[in-house]
Amino acid sequence: MRAASKRCGFAMRLILAAGLPASGVAWGAAAMAANPQDTSADKPSALAVTVYRAPGREAGSIDLDDLGGFALITETRTVHLPAGTIRLRFEGVADGIEPASAIVTGLPAGVIEKNRDAKLLSPAALIAAAVGKPVTLLRTDKKSGKLQRLAGTVLSDAEGGVVFKTSEGIEALRCSGLPETFIFTGAADLAATPTLSVLVRSSTPMTRTVTLSYLARGFDWAADYVATLSADGKTADLGAWVTLANGNGVGFPDAHTQVVAGSVNRESGEVEPLDVGGPILAQCWPRGSTSDQPTPMVMQLAGATRGMNMDRMYKMTLAAPAALEEVVVARRVQQEQLGDLKLYRVPDRTTVASRQSKQVRLMDRSGIPVTFVYGVDVAVGDDDAKEPARRLLRTKNDAANHLGLPLPSGRVAVFAVQQGERLLQHESDIRDLAVGEEVEVDMGESPDVQASVRTETVDIDQRKVRELPLVPGVILRSVQIDELTRVEVSNARAVAIPFELRVRLPEGGRVLRADHPLGTKNGRPIFRLTVPANGSATVRFQSGHNEDKLHR
Amino acid sequence: MRTRLLVIGCSICLQWVPAAFAAERTLSVTIYADDLALVQDRRDVELKGGRQRLEFQDVSAQIRPETVSLTAADISIVEQNFDFDLLTPAKLMEKAVGQEVTIVRVNPASGAETREQALVLATNGGVVLKIGQRIEVLRDDGLPVRVIFDKVPDNLRARPTLSVTVIGGRSGSRQATLSYLTPGLGWKADYVALYNESDGKIDVQGWVTLSNSSGVTYDNAQTLLVAGSPAQADAGARPANVYRAQPRPSLQQPGTESGSRERLGDYYLYPLAERTTIANLQTKQVSFLDVHGVPAEHGYEYRNAWLGTSETPQSAKSIYSFSTGAHAGLGDQLPAGILRFYMRDKRGDPQFIGESRIDHTPMGSTLSLATGDAFDVKVHAVVEKRTRLSTFDWQSDMRYDLTNALPRPVTVKLLQQGLWGDSRIKAESLKSTRRSAETAEWAVTVPANGKASLTASFETRF
Repeated sequence: MRAASKRCGFAMRLILAAGLPASGVAWGAAAMAANPQDTSADKPSALAVTVYRAPGREAGSIDLDDLGGFALITETRTVHLPAGTIRLRFEGVADGIEPASAIVTGLPAGVIEKNRDAKLLSPAALIAAAVGKPVTLLRTDKKSGKLQRLAGTVLSDAEGGVVFKTSEGIEALRCSGLPETFIFTGAADLAATPTLSVLVRSSTPMTRTVTLSYLARGFDWAADYVATLSADGKTADLGAWVTLANGNGVGFPDAHTQVVAGSVNRESGEVEPLDVGGPILAQCWPRGSTSDQPTPMVMQLAGATRGMNMDRMYKMTLAAPAALEEVVVARRVQQEQLGDLKLYRVPDRTTVASRQSKQVRLMDRSGIPVTFVYGVDVAVGDDDAKEPARRLLRTKNDAANHLGLPLPSGRVAVFAVQQGERLLQHESDIRDLAVGEEVEVDMGESPDVQASVRTETVDIDQRKVRELPLVPGVILRSVQIDELTRVEVSNARAVAIPFELRVRLPEGGRVLRADHPLGTKNGRPIFRLTVPANGSATVRFQSGHNEDKLHR
Repeated sequence: MRTRLLVIGCSICLQWVPAAFAAERTLSVTIYADDLALVQDRRDVELKGGRQRLEFQDVSAQIRPETVSLTAADISIVEQNFDFDLLTPAKLMEKAVGQEVTIVRVNPASGAETREQALVLATNGGVVLKIGQRIEVLRDDGLPVRVIFDKVPDNLRARPTLSVTVIGGRSGSRQATLSYLTPGLGWKADYVALYNESDGKIDVQGWVTLSNSSGVTYDNAQTLLVAGSPAQADAGARPANVYRAQPRPSLQQPGTESGSRERLGDYYLYPLAERTTIANLQTKQVSFLDVHGVPAEHGYEYRNAWLGTSETPQSAKSIYSFSTGAHAGLGDQLPAGILRFYMRDKRGDPQFIGESRIDHTPMGSTLSLATGDAFDVKVHAVVEKRTRLSTFDWQSDMRYDLTNALPRPVTVKLLQQGLWGDSRIKAESLKSTRRSAETAEWAVTVPANGKASLTASFETRF
């Protein structure tokens, strides 16, 4: 009460000085109401951070400018509760916190409610809170440095302009060309850092250890693989890093750190974004001069900044890549099963600093047998199409191939040793690969191996195309349209190469005759052949499909 | 003496209130799940008798003015206005056109002030002033000039303001109730489910999450939450009969049990036990459900679209299902919201394993919620062959390869969708059940660290 009367006294002095009616309603109410006591929890004594990948990203690496993943943060804090109704404040939670996901355990039974205030202390928030309240206007004489103090009241901060009232009349802030500012009388009861608060009731004073956990945005991780091919190209060594990043403005020192592989369901969470506030814009009346035409852009721009979509504001605060630093740690993570997901635990406690990306060793395997194959997709009906083949690296994720461990999605860089030097061959994305799955890494286009497709004939006469042997098992009955396709594969490399020609047929189509053995893969015809060194090979096949009469 | 003066000071600051309202105020807020709230604001008004304008500044900035009603004994309402012309320096100057203002020139060298009266002529792109017989552009020379206005125009305000003009019968203080609808206040439920893998049980906590972006703080408000979405006329009707991909249904079996919760018509009511302050831009959570040891089942599911074929195996969905009934269930109806699943890792710490949205769910329902993709259980569906049997008849041969990299056998519920019309299954390697005319369902058991295959041949008109 003493504090309250002091405040009132101060208000009183202002009123007397300014001769103004001060609107003391809020203060009066604050002094009267039995407000809960504010208590801050201690700084976290233990921290755990579990990072999840961006939902929907099936393969590929992270984008430091737009970290689309999230993390589960668990903080252990000690709290000292007096008796009564207490507002317990957890200061310094991640700015990307999803408040609805917060869980507090370890408090006495009477948790009444949990709150997160999105509004943070900022110059604009100060002004907004000061509307209708007395402030002190400070004017500095540029020449003499003399200060002039005037009691006043803020009348409005609407749309970025500030209007105030003093004993002299009504004026607008910073429109006169004089250095002007306000001195505020209270810090507007706003938190400086993102804060979660819990309203709790306790009968006796107590000290407890509580656990606060919540999901927070602005994190991400991916696996970054490096495959190094042996000189003969028959085996590869595979190493990988877990790259995790924190785009939040809050760091997590000395934290148990985990990452989770596998895709988890996220509902598009409508998170109330943080209102990080902004500067006092102090927009003025139109400023034109006789010598230069006013540019309406200036006003529009200022307006745009003010009314900037919260979401973008929020994103900016998270994404502002204030030079994300990179840290490399070299002990391997330990993998364990978490339901249907894979959890990788960083062995020692580590610091996940704010705006940092960090790498931890995921795996190292050597002597993995690999094969290379060239392949091309052709569609029947493509005429005179030429296409470079894609080179594919293949192996299987099993123990026989020196693998046999879950491979989380990410990016793989393939290096080859050329005269003692490692050179990058290609970089491509890989998806989550379970044990026992085929591994296929795209090695990019190979201009040395080209396939050219030509439709030789289109015929409905069966006799003309009988020169090719019938594919075993094919019975001709209702075939109407026949196409004879010729694919020539040229190889400019000095070695013979295995080649896969995959055929895309029209709906209901079949390969009827071919001069090479026909296979199927994923329901589509495929020819597997070897193209000789510095030579070429030709595949001719006849395909048939029914033409829909209704649409002719 | 000093103390006494302070007390007088305090009584002054309590008595000065805007628009003749005392601080005595009772707020009650009813929040619907669909971003809509009914605010009832009871307070004492001081009436002078006769025609009078009452202003309400501390109402929601998003108020729907057409829903405002003010009730008090012995008054009649003349009109209601919602003014949103905001007080900014530019507006202030604009409204001063044709009026006199005081300008104060400050000499940058000496700091000496010169006062003059000026008439504002125009504010288009710059302020044109008439001072005596001279016409000048304000601050054209860049030198400091203060402009002082005598008053703020009547309808310019810092915040959008509701005003009601009333005719009061007799003067004096009486209680008035202002009620209105506003968007910007909403609530949803958030659930935390901790799944215990060893005994297949879940612990579920439910939280009501209130959010306020309506622009004002509701102090000490009595709060009632309504689960259900009353129709709003202008809520944008969805076109009927528009084909949309159906999301995976999470409600397997709607319940038929009644709980003990309070109801309003067909809606459930969740009153908050205590008065609470809903601050602007605040997210607030209050607990409403805490159940332990509810049996839950974990399974896998894969839905294949018609002619769905993929180049690489796709993960099956990881599914958790449980009941909301009184027997072996949560024993409550669940308001719509998001259910987040957690599971303990090897060290015993709960880890997040995915979330799923649920709709308003009656008590006694069976819910089946997908938390994400299984890393180790995959399905590779391939259209092996499409054959045209006749002009209107197609045969599609499907093959489904299922793999399981887990050290225990799993059963995958495999659904083939899109069997429209009189489609039929000609042959299949495992007996299917027809969940509906459009969907065939197989329960495929995949051995530990093993594979299973399923083939089916469909005859369709397309």
